[in-house]
Amino acid sequence: MTTKHGRFSGWGRHFHRPIFFSLVILTTLGAMSLLSAAIQDDGVTPLELALLILYAILMLWITASFWTAALGFVRILRRMGRRAPADDSARNDQDEGSEPFKTALVMPVYNEDPERVFAGLRAMVQSLVETGRPEGFEIFVLSDTRDPETWIQEELQWRRWALELGQPARLFYRNRVENTARKSGNLADFCRQWGGRYRYMIVLDADSIMTGETLLEMVRRMESDRRVALIQVPPVPVNRSSLFARMLQFAGSLYGNMFVAGLAYWQQDTANFWGHNAIIRVRPFAEHCGLPQLPGHEPFGGEILSHDFVEAALLARSGWKVRLADDLGGSYEEIPPTLIDYAKRDRRWCQGNLQHSRLILARGFKSLSRIHFAMGVMSYLASPLWLLFLIATGIEAYFRSLKVPVYFFGDNVLPVWPESYAVEMATVLWVTLALLFLPKLLSLVLLAFDPVQARRFGGLPKATLSVLIESFFSVLLAPVLMLFQSKFVAAILLRTTVGWPTQERGDHQTGLAEAVGAHGVHTLIAVAAGVATYTYVPAFFWWFTPVLAGLALSIPVSMITSRTALGRLARRAGLFMTPEEAEEPRVLRLLDQHLATPQALPFAASSDRDFWSQSVAAPCAYALHAALLPDETPSRRRRHALEGLIFKLQDEGRDSLGQQEKRTLISHRDGLYELHTLLWAGKEPPMPVARTGNERTVEPLAS
Amino acid sequence: MGARIDSAPALPDGTAMPTKASDWPRAARRLVEYLTALGVRDRQEIDRLGEQVRRRLDARAAHAPLEDAVEAAIEEILALLDDWLTAELDIGGDANALAAARAAVLGGGIPGWSARWAGLAGDSLATEIRAFQRDAVPERAPLTMQASTIDLCCHRLRRRIAAAICRLFCQPDLPTNPRGDRS
Repeated sequence: MTTKHGRFSGWGRHFHRPIFFSLVILTTLGAMSLLSAAIQDDGVTPLELALLILYAILMLWITASFWTAALGFVRILRRMGRRAPADDSARNDQDEGSEPFKTALVMPVYNEDPERVFAGLRAMVQSLVETGRPEGFEIFVLSDTRDPETWIQEELQWRRWALELGQPARLFYRNRVENTARKSGNLADFCRQWGGRYRYMIVLDADSIMTGETLLEMVRRMESDRRVALIQVPPVPVNRSSLFARMLQFAGSLYGNMFVAGLAYWQQDTANFWGHNAIIRVRPFAEHCGLPQLPGHEPFGGEILSHDFVEAALLARSGWKVRLADDLGGSYEEIPPTLIDYAKRDRRWCQGNLQHSRLILARGFKSLSRIHFAMGVMSYLASPLWLLFLIATGIEAYFRSLKVPVYFFGDNVLPVWPESYAVEMATVLWVTLALLFLPKLLSLVLLAFDPVQARRFGGLPKATLSVLIESFFSVLLAPVLMLFQSKFVAAILLRTTVGWPTQERGDHQTGLAEAVGAHGVHTLIAVAAGVATYTYVPAFFWWFTPVLAGLALSIPVSMITSRTALGRLARRAGLFMTPEEAEEPRVLRLLDQHLATPQALPFAASSDRDFWSQSVAAPCAYALHAALLPDETPSRRRRHALEGLIFKLQDEGRDSLGQQEKRTLISHRDGLYELHTLLWAGKEPPMPVARTGNERTVEPLAS
Repeated sequence: MGARIDSAPALPDGTAMPTKASDWPRAARRLVEYLTALGVRDRQEIDRLGEQVRRRLDARAAHAPLEDAVEAAIEEILALLDDWLTAELDIGGDANALAAARAAVLGGGIPGWSARWAGLAGDSLATEIRAFQRDAVPERAPLTMQASTIDLCCHRLRRRIAAAICRLFCQPDLPTNPRGDRS
């Protein structure tokens, strides 16, 4: 076996999983024995049994996370001890005898900001060009965009860049007529239509950024082992400036590294797919990863929402290797800027992950794939379980408080003191807290061993301070996320489906109304629970204060952490620094440059009219859009439907049309033509038109 | 490029109006605006194209009255453009090629295309137009991607249990084997 890139070699690799799972199980059993000793004073009541079961499940979850981090810590430490491997990222030892092949950079998009999408792709391609080996790569924007204005803007961006890139064409764009099966359907459609053209596809998200060196190295690694079907490169969160996002970026950068190294240690060749920033061998993917509809109805049946885990499991089931490249950098993503946006993203992911509960016991999957499914489920189920655990603990504490100690009974002359389990309970608490917070400490130890890296995190003292502040906020935010996720899980169990809203990606701040709307209930719950516990179980109240404080302060904390000014202030103070902020990678600088110089529209749009009608009227946008539509003979039914929409537009005005209707009108050449001529036949020209002595201008598309 | 336009193309005296007397000036005004939006800025070119549109409108009006002269003028200018592109690129009948060519010329960047369209320039622009065309997608290279089978353990188990319960309780009067014995 190869020892390259930190992968353990030889027989040792067979012990990785036994070591990991033994540690997890032994730690859980140890913690369980402590808790059972603490509560089993005179037998086990049903409530205590429930507490024990809940604690066992939650401890399994926590210890798995802890030992992943701890093993990652050891792995990184060992890697530091060895001489740094020669930088072979630039080496491209493709088999000289192998046939030339193409790699597609595929970016599925759904109503994303076209400026950002294309700026990101331009930065990546420029980075690739700077490696000197851009040949063999093609870019494919797989649009599932439904919003008609965004659709047209994507096309304009595509054409402008396609012209700049010249021939032969390397940039492609298509908008799917129906967005069946969402992202997985989008990728499947790509494979069905053009999969045969490519040996590999590198799947990106709308906010993904990868360096050219990393793209080349991914391909090189795939070429070096023909049994590898997928390599996931862990993305590091970057580019946000709110306090919330910067704390998350810091945590993701500092602790994430360790967790990823630990995951790679025990997952080995049955790693997972995270949905983007991964390279996939196209043929096996097409052969094995067509996703079926699950029997039954949403939320647990129907389309598989979180497709990535399932695709990785299907590849592993078919004997292909799926790897996590924990040693490979140059992979970035952007994260939600505020706590509320983060929760919204969780809402989207929650249903998909819970759906995996049906797959855990499905036939044929590898054991590790089942564990991935279970961990995905637990990442959301843990919250309601913690909530239940807290409630059960409170009730147990209340019942215990009702017991009046009897000091003299029977023939005893001396008082019989009630047995105290405070020490055991405190131990349980400290063990749990240690498992949660020790990884943070370990990451600081790693920094202490690596001064260069420590400098990139702002220096060890500031990194330590950042960890302390981040831990404080994570304590405050954890109960809020617990309630959010519990609500999501409950909604899904009650068979409420989720929509597929576009992710909020840009920096924006939470206002008072939004914060009260999102966290008002949390605050009320904190007040009610606080009053109840203080009144009935005062001893429990003080243990409960960290949770109550998080909920009670959720409105101000949510607002404060969303502030970009605070995030920037922290940056100036050297707090929550990440290596990407300290030494901004070239590809991120390129992204900034592209975003700083937005591409002007090829026509002069007036701000007092809607973009949709102006772009349909602008001949350059109209002609481009028409050229990208399929040539179809309109059926009578469709013609009538389009005419109906045109009449509606004429009679009731542009505002009467919904987004879907607007999309329908511009989805067919005949409807588009009707609309274009109709707009120009109106009383006033539908867009500003240049005249002599008039400042309004109409500029050509590619000028 | 010649002088910019700030007035409608002249109407020759005694010409038949497209619909009614008041329609053509309005149609001509909009035609100028539309041609400007297309990227035609030269007065001479606009006059020439306007004249051709007028002739087409006349021909149309001779067959049937026009519902809206402005709309008809826009339709005719687009048809005129398509006719020119079809001839210039020799793409008769290929709607996709025509749409791509239209996108290429209206996208800008091809110098002198409007003069050529108006019949005021002699050299063919076929090469230039083709150079500005881009295929949005490459040639198809299909792969088969069938839905994989995922055999849900509990789903089948649930159905089996339901079937067993049904066998036991739901249809007690039905025979369970060919001999008619009851379970």
